Amino acid sequence: MVNAAGTPDLTSRVGSVVLKNPVMSASGTFGYGLEFTPFYDISRLGAVIVKGLSLLPTPGNAPQRIVETPAGMLNAIGLQNIGVERFVRDVVPRLADAGATYVANIYGRTIEEYEEVARRLSGVASLAAIELNASCPNVKEGGIAFGSNPEGLSGLTRRVREATGKPLWVKLSPNVSDIGSVARAAEDAGADAVTLINTIVGMAVDCRTRRPGLSNVTGGLSGPAIKPVALRMVWEACKAVRIPVIGIGGIQSAEDALEFLLVGAAAVQVGTANFRNPNACVEIIDGIRAFLVRERLAHLDDYRGTLRI
Amino acid sequence: MPFRRPRFVNGRILHNGGNGIFYRMEVSIPDRIEFLPGQFAMVSGWPGNDPLLPRPLAIFRAGGARGKGTVEFVYKVVGRGTALLSGLHGGDPLQITLPLGNGFDLGREDRIWWLVGGGVGFSTVFPAAVVLEEQRAAFEVFLGARSRDQLPPREWVPGGGTPGRAHLCTDDGTAGFFGRVTDAVRERMDRLKATERARLSILACGPREMLREIAELAVPLEVPVQASLENHMACGFGVCWGCVTAVRDGEKTAYRRVCKEGPVFDAREVVW
Repeated sequence: MVNAAGTPDLTSRVGSVVLKNPVMSASGTFGYGLEFTPFYDISRLGAVIVKGLSLLPTPGNAPQRIVETPAGMLNAIGLQNIGVERFVRDVVPRLADAGATYVANIYGRTIEEYEEVARRLSGVASLAAIELNASCPNVKEGGIAFGSNPEGLSGLTRRVREATGKPLWVKLSPNVSDIGSVARAAEDAGADAVTLINTIVGMAVDCRTRRPGLSNVTGGLSGPAIKPVALRMVWEACKAVRIPVIGIGGIQSAEDALEFLLVGAAAVQVGTANFRNPNACVEIIDGIRAFLVRERLAHLDDYRGTLRI
Repeated sequence: MPFRRPRFVNGRILHNGGNGIFYRMEVSIPDRIEFLPGQFAMVSGWPGNDPLLPRPLAIFRAGGARGKGTVEFVYKVVGRGTALLSGLHGGDPLQITLPLGNGFDLGREDRIWWLVGGGVGFSTVFPAAVVLEEQRAAFEVFLGARSRDQLPPREWVPGGGTPGRAHLCTDDGTAGFFGRVTDAVRERMDRLKATERARLSILACGPREMLREIAELAVPLEVPVQASLENHMACGFGVCWGCVTAVRDGEKTAYRRVCKEGPVFDAREVVW
């Protein structure tokens, strides 16, 4: 049954954060959001997750930073960003003007830096949540040191939790042996939600030149190639924790997004697909709505987590 | 309305053909675009997820009327993506994001312009010749290729029919100047009067080695060089940060996006 307006209700909740639909842009694939304003009204998104912010501006890794792989790509950007101060001064007012729901992804070289970035964002009224990047594989200081085992992640999450009153989402690395225990560690330390998966560490080399494809040698794999791995991990995390799980990894279409919602994700993030089609996120939102109409479902909640095993 | 800000459009191929080296593809798009020479598009049209990413192609020409535009690309098959593009036919759909990046700055009056293209780099500099011709500005074209068959067809070359305006160079001497295009530029530069040199501006696109040599040759003589760089790109509109190149930023170096701050850079800024 659809509602009186004939339009299914896509409203999604990630803890206390209410999203008008479940589709968010993934950090690192959407700039600071404003880059997409030529293409569409970014307030149409569930949320914009901005590129990972550090305390100070970061130059990033030397080129070559990306390499295409079968149905995917490796990146080692190195978290190049303008720093939290410039973000708050120059970007926040424009995101607020655009009417966007937005979330700041943050990282630090030390726990103290994470805390400081979180503190500086705490006073930003229009900011919906903070997403803790505990999983960037491409810089030693990008959080992977904290995020690759339950103990490290627990300590980091607890400290940032104490530093900010904003809803706190923790983005998890797939480069772990048991995603359930890592997700539980984040939950127990006070996370309001977990986001997974970040990229899978990979590598490309050229057999003729005998050189690596990336100057960083290894990088993070994203794109359709990782979707089955991501889906499995999201399903496992959904069973392991009570807090909302945000599903991400290789989503290219509404069908892909629906698969993550089916296994229990509260919402999804779309990343690499934005590179191929700048309209990917809004096309996915429209596709989810059309799917619910076909399925005669009034609310996305009637579909979410209904996997039949 | 013709558009200048980037858009993602569904196009349809009108023609796509080539000689096995260079291909020329004309595509109908929903509206007319206005572009600056040196701007580019991200293009994909093959089914499925592999290869995943669209390919950056220089905008060679654009036309049409309101509500019905066309855009043309000239490209070389260099890998899987361009090989797949070359296999598409008239009537096939094509996804295009355009126009992207910063083009050449042709705003300066009373200049002498040299357009230098290495390999398929000509497809980036030729559109500048169209604008310069409209401005009745003086220009010469320098083209470099490995051999005769790697040069673009004569009828594509701006000013190709006028003696002394187009300088064709081949590494193996099978056509035109026997040597690299940078050598031809150097020889021509040596013959310029100081008054002419003071008015000279260079637009260049080609292999990085060629661009670096042009910069090393021209910058000490205070000849401005606008160099169009290439790099692998994921998005083409400034969000992936994958295509950066190192530039001078005061005493330090910084990484700038070829797709967004470029692809045209002042050669003095680039860390070659």
